[in-house]
Amino acid sequence: MANAFVAAFEILSFGAIIVLIVLGLGIIASMMGIFNFAQGEFVLLGAYITYLAYAKGLPIWAGMVAAPFVVGALGFVLEALIIRRFYAAPIVAMLGTYALGLIIRESVRGLIGGFYLTVPEPIGGSIDIGAMHISAWRFTIIVITLLVMAGCYLLLSRTNFGLRMRATLENPSLARASGISTPLMYGATFAFGSALAGLAGALIVPVFSLYADLGLRFLIQGFVAVMVGGVGSFIGPVAGAGVIGTLSAALPWIMAPVVADVLVFVLAIAFIKFRPQGLIAGKGV
Amino acid sequence: MGAVKQPIPAAIGGETGAVMDSSGTAKQTSTRKILPIVEGVVLVAALLAPLLLQDYLTVFATRVIILALFALSFDLVWGYAGIMSFGQALFFGSAGYGVALLARDLDITNIFLVLPAGTLIGLTFALLLGGFLLLGRHPSSVIFVSLGTLTGSYAADRLARGWYYLGGQNGIPSIAPMSLGSYEFTEGPAFYYLVLGILVVVYLLCRFLVRSQFGLALAGLRENEQRIAFFGYKAQHLKAIIFAIGGAVAGMAGSLYAFHEGFVWPNMVGVVVSTQVVLYVLFGGSGTLIGAVIGAVIVEGVSFWLSDNYRDIWPIILGVLLLLVILFRPLGLISFVLGERERVGSFGAKPREDVKEKRNAP
Repeated sequence: MANAFVAAFEILSFGAIIVLIVLGLGIIASMMGIFNFAQGEFVLLGAYITYLAYAKGLPIWAGMVAAPFVVGALGFVLEALIIRRFYAAPIVAMLGTYALGLIIRESVRGLIGGFYLTVPEPIGGSIDIGAMHISAWRFTIIVITLLVMAGCYLLLSRTNFGLRMRATLENPSLARASGISTPLMYGATFAFGSALAGLAGALIVPVFSLYADLGLRFLIQGFVAVMVGGVGSFIGPVAGAGVIGTLSAALPWIMAPVVADVLVFVLAIAFIKFRPQGLIAGKGV
Repeated sequence: MGAVKQPIPAAIGGETGAVMDSSGTAKQTSTRKILPIVEGVVLVAALLAPLLLQDYLTVFATRVIILALFALSFDLVWGYAGIMSFGQALFFGSAGYGVALLARDLDITNIFLVLPAGTLIGLTFALLLGGFLLLGRHPSSVIFVSLGTLTGSYAADRLARGWYYLGGQNGIPSIAPMSLGSYEFTEGPAFYYLVLGILVVVYLLCRFLVRSQFGLALAGLRENEQRIAFFGYKAQHLKAIIFAIGGAVAGMAGSLYAFHEGFVWPNMVGVVVSTQVVLYVLFGGSGTLIGAVIGAVIVEGVSFWLSDNYRDIWPIILGVLLLLVILFRPLGLISFVLGERERVGSFGAKPREDVKEKRNAP
């Protein structure tokens, strides 16, 4: 019983981490039609900023709060300078963002070297329920993920900003004709997606520690999750991330980890092949 | 304009021949082919390289030539058919692992057995993956194919790392050298010329392929897939065929690489090598075969040269250069010397002169 509960918690917390990482990726892919290969490196940057704050003696919380803003600002600048040129051709966008990611990743590698740097958990210890102990920080991540998800949903479905964003997605020329500045909306969307990646990086760095290939590790899982969920909506990628995260955390409990690892990808690709529109089809929130 | 001008010299009579002649030669110089010159220069440089280079550089040059062969396979798939294969290393590496296992477990190192075996492994994997990703009732989206190949390569990497039979993290070390009878190909000029010979043969075959009617259909596919399908071509089958051919070339390169380096390790099937080959082709110029070769030579050469002094910042420079090329020179470095008309080129057999004259005759 206790074992099953711990397993369920592990699965849930890993699922939450994948959801958190995929949120930004999904928003950029759904709203802008771009598969951002630099997203993993935005996660890495968020983690690096948190580490910097810790190394400079600031409270870790300060770094975690700063990370989404810094990464979001960087995303805004990059969109205006570079990403904007790629909208016409999604494949070129993949290559261009891959190049951007390469630059960021290697810069961070140059700064931290080939080490694994650990950052302590801001909320240490564990929560005890009877005889069971679960990590307090992982529990916090689950809570924050739920809050961020709800926040994103409300932002996209209930606010003026969300309405403009969706209008720009569905019909750019009509949106322009209605007086919405579409370039600004694209910039804001990209910045928002990058900020979410920065936040994800900041939150997961105590769990995975900081190393240069941190982002790369999640990038492919994230892409697969977005495709499984379905590009075009906000809910789709989140649902896909839930499925992929749960599967990749749950399967190693019942079979050899190597087989489980590969099986998740095979299942996902086969699923996309036979249902290209994903779990949840259609545009909208 | 030409049509209006033509009758005039004909009316003048005697001078016609001279006028036609001079305009003919002028036309010839203006459309002089640059591509054969570039190819010739590269070939001569490659032939002379081992005579001028020190021994350890010849070994390095051999590796570059093998990687150029690998780049050629990606160029076929991306540059000519517009299929973004982010998992080309899957075929490269699996062939490498395959021949390494042949050499380790069955003691087969004969060149006439291992090279076809490697090529066949690459072909088989490409047929399986390409068939799955590309064929089907609905045409697959470009994004799906690129992510599917990327995922395939990543999954293969994980599998190779975790599978004890394949050596796990360490891969398969100390593969016996490739042999021909009692002669063993070890690193050095002999191996270099062997690889160069293979590259030249494969290059010529590819050149024939992309300039044939099949190549024309591929070019149409790359530019507008819907239209080609509308014309009655089986667009998905064409894609699967070229994908499989690309996989076969990658497999041949992979088996050569395994024997040249003497070991295989999980990175060889993974994402890192897959993206490396994308870099080569984008740098050199996709859509021209020689561009892929030049790209591999330049990227590997500069990285070898710089990595002594600037090991840390070289990947950053590479990223910046790649970004600049994508932004401002989408056709790669080769487009500095090669015009658009020549890059597109002509397809199929050239019409024979006598047939042409007959057709023009009244």
